[in-house]
Amino acid sequence: MIKIFKNVVDYNFIQKRFFALILSGILIVLSLGSFLYQGINWGIDFSSGYIVQLKFQDNVEIDNLSQKLSKSNLAKPVLQYYGSKNEVIVKFQENSFVNEKNINEFLLQNLEDQSYKLMKLEFVGSQIGSELRDKGEWAMLVALLSILVYIGFRFEFLYGIGAIFALIHDVIITVGIFSLIQLEFDLSVLSAILAVIGYSLNDTIVVFDRIRENTRTIRESSFMKILNISINQTLNRTVVTSLTTLFVLVSLLLLGGIAVTNFAIAMIVGVLIGTYSSIFVAGSSLIYLGVQVQSEDQK
Amino acid sequence: MESYPRWKYLLVLFVLISATIYALPNFYKSYPGIEILINDSKNIENFKQDYSKYLTNDNNKIIEQDNKLIYTYNSIDAQLDAYNNLSVIDSYFDYTLVTYTDIPAWLAKIGASPMFLGLDLKGGVHFLLQVDESNIKKNLLREFESDIKKELIENKIRYKSFERSKDQLRIIFKDSETLDSAKTLLESNTRDFIIMPDSNSNLNILISDEALSRDLKSSIAKNLTILRSRVDELGVSQPIVQKQGKDRIIVQLPGLQDSTRAKNILGSTATLEFRLTKGTPEDWLQSLNQNIPSINSSKLYKQRDGSPVLLSRKIIVGGADIKNANSGFDSTTNSPAVFVTLSDYGADQMLKTTQKNIGKRMAVVFVEKNKEEVINIAVIREAFSKSFQITGLNREEAQNLSILLRSGALSAPMEIVEERTVGPSLGEENILAGKNSMYFGMLLVVLFMFFYYRIFGFIANIALFANLIIIIAILSVFQATLTLSGIAGIVLTVGMAVDANVLIFERIREEILNGNSPNSSIYAGYKKAFSTISDANITTLIAAISLLTIGTGVVKGFAVTLVIGILSSMFTSIIGTRAIVSIIYENKKQTGLSI
Repeated sequence: MIKIFKNVVDYNFIQKRFFALILSGILIVLSLGSFLYQGINWGIDFSSGYIVQLKFQDNVEIDNLSQKLSKSNLAKPVLQYYGSKNEVIVKFQENSFVNEKNINEFLLQNLEDQSYKLMKLEFVGSQIGSELRDKGEWAMLVALLSILVYIGFRFEFLYGIGAIFALIHDVIITVGIFSLIQLEFDLSVLSAILAVIGYSLNDTIVVFDRIRENTRTIRESSFMKILNISINQTLNRTVVTSLTTLFVLVSLLLLGGIAVTNFAIAMIVGVLIGTYSSIFVAGSSLIYLGVQVQSEDQK
Repeated sequence: MESYPRWKYLLVLFVLISATIYALPNFYKSYPGIEILINDSKNIENFKQDYSKYLTNDNNKIIEQDNKLIYTYNSIDAQLDAYNNLSVIDSYFDYTLVTYTDIPAWLAKIGASPMFLGLDLKGGVHFLLQVDESNIKKNLLREFESDIKKELIENKIRYKSFERSKDQLRIIFKDSETLDSAKTLLESNTRDFIIMPDSNSNLNILISDEALSRDLKSSIAKNLTILRSRVDELGVSQPIVQKQGKDRIIVQLPGLQDSTRAKNILGSTATLEFRLTKGTPEDWLQSLNQNIPSINSSKLYKQRDGSPVLLSRKIIVGGADIKNANSGFDSTTNSPAVFVTLSDYGADQMLKTTQKNIGKRMAVVFVEKNKEEVINIAVIREAFSKSFQITGLNREEAQNLSILLRSGALSAPMEIVEERTVGPSLGEENILAGKNSMYFGMLLVVLFMFFYYRIFGFIANIALFANLIIIIAILSVFQATLTLSGIAGIVLTVGMAVDANVLIFERIREEILNGNSPNSSIYAGYKKAFSTISDANITTLIAAISLLTIGTGVVKGFAVTLVIGILSSMFTSIIGTRAIVSIIYENKKQTGLSI
């Protein structure tokens, strides 16, 4: 039998909860600070404008292209290489000039001496962008509330609060890291965040399930001890599942192409934070919420 | 250990076999192709002789089906080259870009087909068009204005003036008594507008929500029909034209690589007007210099070369009276032309006008949004009515205009508020990247599971493959759209799918460590892990379903595969693995488990 942790593990996670509290505190403060000072680098899905991905026959100079595409009555486009020296992403702001002229014709006119292929063109109007943002926030809220209801129904209300607490912790830190390193936040990242909600919850539920079972089967009056036993019992599973999930995510990051890079990064960060929180945060949050072992006559 | 019920074996077997069959079409090679519809099957040979030279550019296959010919190509570039050739020689036949999959007939017969790939995997154009609400308001207010004016005059109620702003009318009265009588009169009549008097003997007329939404609804319905007929002209297979929300329409054109033409056609309100000219070229120049028309009831226009012309304010025939239009070439000059057929009413008008005005000149005006341009001025040599031709446009304009005239004018202008174009080669790259990352990720998971859980890990791996096949089969059967984010969803499911087995196996290990017999450990492991597994999966499912509520492309694709993945992984990892475990271990004396 191969095991990541020894057969009978007895790490005292609960005793170390203050370290976790400090670590999580720092991460959350950093995240919130970054929201305030840098904000989020919203991708085109949530802001508005044009993104054009062009593949040229030969390598191109960004400056050279940028000059060609800059018109006096147009906000300066932002250009960057995409993967290789002959592939370029151009971002335009939404602009009536480009709207009327038709962006394809605009490119054709200004890049006529170059041979290129249009790989991708995305345009999102400002109205759509803000609508999507609203819908995203709405979906997040709906997810959290329905989860609260389900857990409240299956476990106890306080467990539901504990799980939601761990979730919000995970989401804030994951989004915070995106804000910190200013990675573009687009629709695929939003899906990743929502998937992280599902994943981290999955982890938390497994631990809570064990706690519930143990409060019934183990004759032990200290809730902290039960908590610690439960986390230790599920430790192998928590780590194995995180590992297999990380395997596929890393392979998605390495081989899936640039289009899914941000998705993979968001998921990897989310899974790591989710694993950490289901070991260190979810359980101890129950202590702060005042959950106790029910005595025999209450059952 | 209790005996595993026989019906569960049968269920597992049944699901696996049918999933394999329905997943099968995805493993046949598919080719980009062009499908040509030929109404008369006798003409197929003729067509091949005449046109094959335009359509064959690498060693491609030609497939005949009933009255269809399908030319297949080895690359999308070859397909698009041929497609472009086809649009240059003129089209007396319908052709569409298709993806041809070489699946056996028996699979096609039971309705098995490959997954429906989204635009990001197959290339194509996606538009979201929105009705211009301000335009609808403007038209409604105009209608109100003329109705109200008529009614006030009929009832001899005097008003000082009318003002029309973006979203209301204001009638200004001399005193409050006339205002009151006007108010009573108008209130008795209609529910389309709301009347709001303000302090200074003014009456404000606002559009009621009901009238606005009714107009919006009918405009969308009409535009939907018109857009469908326009899209049909573009020659792509499986286009999607769909209403979204209350004022938007989605248009998806798979396989198309150049969005320019689609954009010019979809949102266009272009139409034609026929008017008589007024005065002489001298009058026209003079009017241009003074910047007012020098002749009564005429209007100053510009020709294509920028020179001025005066046209009558009266339209002989407008776009609404054009019944049919085709593009082609003028038989004598060989310049591009649009052949127009008028409706009976239009033909009548045209005949009357041309009879009376032989020797005079008539102009054809091209009207698009706020732009009016005279494309052609010709002397009327003889009376004509129903059918005639118009020149003065270039080839592409003639083609586009004839499509627009055929489909009719949009009943309210629409604006493109979102566009996503993915080139076909990027689509191919995306598919490849998606597949590679899936294979590699799976390989890692499979190796890990085998080394960590031995025989049980091997069983979990079988379940993992079965899970993948079931996901592919479900996506194929329901023809749910598979996008790149959908592939990401599948990859993620692969990682998480083993979770249920990990939970079970860890439980079994615990039972063994507690000194239980192998068989009872298996039994207890599955039993105790079940509630955990279902709780954990249901909560993930809730998160995935709330993703669906956002409902937009990327997110939806991901959520759909995640939901399918969670459900099928629960089936394979609980019921499926249990069946295999039972076959191996049931009713045998075990001394130890390979776990």
